[in-house]
Amino acid sequence: MIKIRDLEKIYRTEEVETVALNKISIDVKEGEFVAIMGPSGCGKSTLLNILGLLDDPDNGSFLFNNIEVANFNERKRADLRKHNIGFVFQSFNLIDELTVFENVELPLIYTGVKSGDRKKRVEEVLDKMQIMHRRNHYPQQLSGGQQQRVAVARAVVNNPKLILADEPTGNLDSSNGNEVMTLLTDLNEQGTTIIMVTHSEHDARYSHRIIRMLDGQTVLENIMV
Amino acid sequence: MLKNYFKIAFRNLWRHRVFSFINIMGLTVGMTACLLIFLYVRFELSYDTFHPKADRIYRMVTDLKTPSETIHPSGPAWAVGPHLQFDLPEVEAFTRVNYDNLLVRKGDIKFNETGTIWADSAFFSIFNFPLLKGDVRTALVQPFSIVLSETAAKKYFGKQDPMGQTLLVTGEGKPALVTGVMKDMPENTLIKSDVVMSITTITQKFWKGLDDEWGSYGALTYVLLKPGTYAQTLQKKLPAFLEKWNGKEMRSSQMFPTLLLEPLKDVYLKSTRDDSKGNMMNVYVFSIIALFILVIACINFINLTTARASERAKEVGIRKVAGAVRSQLARQFIGESVIICLIAFLLTLGFSSLLLSSFNQLAGKIISTGIFSNISLLFLLLGIALIIGLLAGIYPAFILSAFKPIMVLKGRFATGAKGSILRKSLVITQFAISTALIIGTIIVYSQMKFMRSRDLGFNKDQVLVVETNGDNKRETLQKLVANLPNVKSTTLSGSVPGGGHQGAYSQVENAKGDLQIANLDLYFVDFDYIPLYDIKMAAGRPFDRTYKTDSNNAMILNEAAVKILGYSSPAQAIGRRFKQWGHEGQIIGVIKDFNYHSLQSPIKPLTMRMEWDRFRLLSVKVNPTNVQTTITAIEKLFRTTIPNRPFSYYFMDEFFDRQYRSEERFGRLFLNFAALAIFISCLGLLGLASYSTMQRTREIGIRKVMGASVSNIINLLSKEFLKLVIISFFIAAPVAWYFMNKWLLDFAYRTSISWWIFAAAGTLAVLIALLTISLQAFKAAIANPVKSLRTE
Repeated sequence: MIKIRDLEKIYRTEEVETVALNKISIDVKEGEFVAIMGPSGCGKSTLLNILGLLDDPDNGSFLFNNIEVANFNERKRADLRKHNIGFVFQSFNLIDELTVFENVELPLIYTGVKSGDRKKRVEEVLDKMQIMHRRNHYPQQLSGGQQQRVAVARAVVNNPKLILADEPTGNLDSSNGNEVMTLLTDLNEQGTTIIMVTHSEHDARYSHRIIRMLDGQTVLENIMV
Repeated sequence: MLKNYFKIAFRNLWRHRVFSFINIMGLTVGMTACLLIFLYVRFELSYDTFHPKADRIYRMVTDLKTPSETIHPSGPAWAVGPHLQFDLPEVEAFTRVNYDNLLVRKGDIKFNETGTIWADSAFFSIFNFPLLKGDVRTALVQPFSIVLSETAAKKYFGKQDPMGQTLLVTGEGKPALVTGVMKDMPENTLIKSDVVMSITTITQKFWKGLDDEWGSYGALTYVLLKPGTYAQTLQKKLPAFLEKWNGKEMRSSQMFPTLLLEPLKDVYLKSTRDDSKGNMMNVYVFSIIALFILVIACINFINLTTARASERAKEVGIRKVAGAVRSQLARQFIGESVIICLIAFLLTLGFSSLLLSSFNQLAGKIISTGIFSNISLLFLLLGIALIIGLLAGIYPAFILSAFKPIMVLKGRFATGAKGSILRKSLVITQFAISTALIIGTIIVYSQMKFMRSRDLGFNKDQVLVVETNGDNKRETLQKLVANLPNVKSTTLSGSVPGGGHQGAYSQVENAKGDLQIANLDLYFVDFDYIPLYDIKMAAGRPFDRTYKTDSNNAMILNEAAVKILGYSSPAQAIGRRFKQWGHEGQIIGVIKDFNYHSLQSPIKPLTMRMEWDRFRLLSVKVNPTNVQTTITAIEKLFRTTIPNRPFSYYFMDEFFDRQYRSEERFGRLFLNFAALAIFISCLGLLGLASYSTMQRTREIGIRKVMGASVSNIINLLSKEFLKLVIISFFIAAPVAWYFMNKWLLDFAYRTSISWWIFAAAGTLAVLIALLTISLQAFKAAIANPVKSLRTE
């Protein structure tokens, strides 16, 4: 599903040049659950952003479902993104002005799903995430675990092939964290590819494979048994 | 999607109520000011444009060149109109419009109809003043035909049909036949009147032969050109026309007129003649002010929106991650600003409706009866509101939609230096405009004060002027009034300072000994006029009862007249000859110049003579105590002596000052709009200051922990904005100086623009800004640092 080769990303300020990704190559197959680990600043979030088509690489190749996307413009990237990729963030990133229902509905709006269908699908996914009873609440009224469940609901509502999770349990206590990890595992079992950046060895154990990064490069891959 | 945008927009507005309030309030106040100014400007531009034939109607005015100067009488000679049609095929019709005060009576109902129009029979076919009753073509043909407005008709006849009834007009009570009732003339015409009488009443009854009189000026003449005719074609033929009819007389009298055509639509604002009441300059000034206010309001909007951009950044990131593209986000943000503008627009309609009547009062006329009376205007305004929303929204939308989602979602977001430079320049713009308006206001007011307090060269205090309309019992009245206990002295005259007067073809001996021809202003006065008004003599003596020749053969000049005659001192003019309107004799005295017009115009050459039958005004110098009793006593005497006329009087000082009414209105409007501009600017500053304070909460906390005092903090937060206000002052001062200097040039006598005006305006701007900022700064400074450090 994902095939990147010799991918480079360099951040430049006036005085400093930081190499975030240094000719990195990774493959991810459809249906895999991959965890990316490494110390702060090793480039894992940059990698995730490029995989999520939120950022573009400076050099190298990125095949997404066998399509070269490294040189896509913003509109094309947005188009590909909204139909294929869901995101889960450490800090949930829900819009405070929208209710639970409306937050989850958002991706459907941008993919042009009709209002009736939207309602059905949002309700389905809220039900699945067991957060239906909170549909009319605002994010501030929810606990962290509930917020992250809403964020996961939002990430999956479009039935994406790929979910990118950036430290999804980082802001949660252990029981809420486990709940979210179970949700992700369930999704993976139903066929969704998951790539997750994490600091937690515990969380990483939920994955099939761990990619360890250092200074913009992969240093080790562990296959989980 | 639209629903989602609306939802977000409204929830956002509600969540940030203070900012929303500032934004909406600023825009509302700005748009309200603009709407009112727009109505005013539109009204000023609408004068006499409602006549369907307006494009073909021209007003004929004249310049009159005498050997002494070129003067601008209010209209051409009386003979011009009637002779136009003989020679000039371009002219379809003409009417003279001559204003007069007319005493009109019906039984006990009597009014002095000021501004009565004497007009030719084509009056109602040229202008669009519809007749409700009567025939447009014949209503003004016969002498003593009178057409009344609906209001006037009701005044005299109540519910009766006025058609065919008679009214008594003039002091002699001549019967005039009502031949028409017209709809009340609209406010936006220069020709406005309630009573129109046939001019044949004058030309066939009172002054036969006036239609052939080429030497009597002042007959305002309007011509209607045939369709497809160019005014220039007619204009080119006018010198030959004058030469043919008037050539001989021009040369013998040495008075050379030229006829000029002014398009009717331009008369009100652009005519160079004194009687055009509008002022294009004011229209420009207020249009610019309106634009400024709008700009200030839009700046607030842009500043507050971009300043708060970081708060919206997360939302932008999430939306982008969820699949939104830039154009969709831009549309969303523009949509939000349009919503804010629409809310402001609705509030504007409410506010304007509430304020309209006071604005009418402020403007001194009914510029509009209601905001909702004109649907197309509403749509226009709605369009303008949408455009403002669009314009104010574009920049923030551009900035916000450009955020990179990974940056903002990671919280790696900082308001750029670029944005803050832009905000700073916009604040400078706002305060430059506001400060310039403060300077302008102070200058307008100090000019007003200058005009009111300047020594005019005569004393206008405690003088009451009674209008006798030249009634033949006026001298009897004068004698009776003079005997009243609180009356110090009285005088009869044809004119008083600040009022109308004659201009007379005169021949006066000059320094070389020749009889110099000039058109000179003429006051008819009696023996007591100069002492009562306390006018000072420069040479010779005032009129004196002991000299028998003074009543007929004596003239007094002012210093300005002495100057154009070439004398090096007033004394040299004494004893010289004069000829004027069939009288001749000697100059007996020279008075010092006094301002008998407003201070806009320089003092012109003036002559004074005595002619008893020209007297119409009785000036009464009264004791300041019990003035009301004195007035009642005078009124009682008037009613018994001159029972046929209405009693009307005025105080000289108020009468003279009414000439400054339009300046006063200008000043008041200026003051109000300047205050608004400052108010809106301060709203913006308040918003920015509170935002910047909010952003620096942590910094303030750290500084306080490190030992900063409250005043240190206030100082820290205020300095940043005060710097901007001070920069704006240095931009505003020269610009304001330049334009206000230009404005002052309109006044012959003017105050100087002194440094204290700038100092005052600058200080005021700084103080207002400081007050605005320090409210926020103080709140932040006294906050507990522990709390502010917890905001992280």
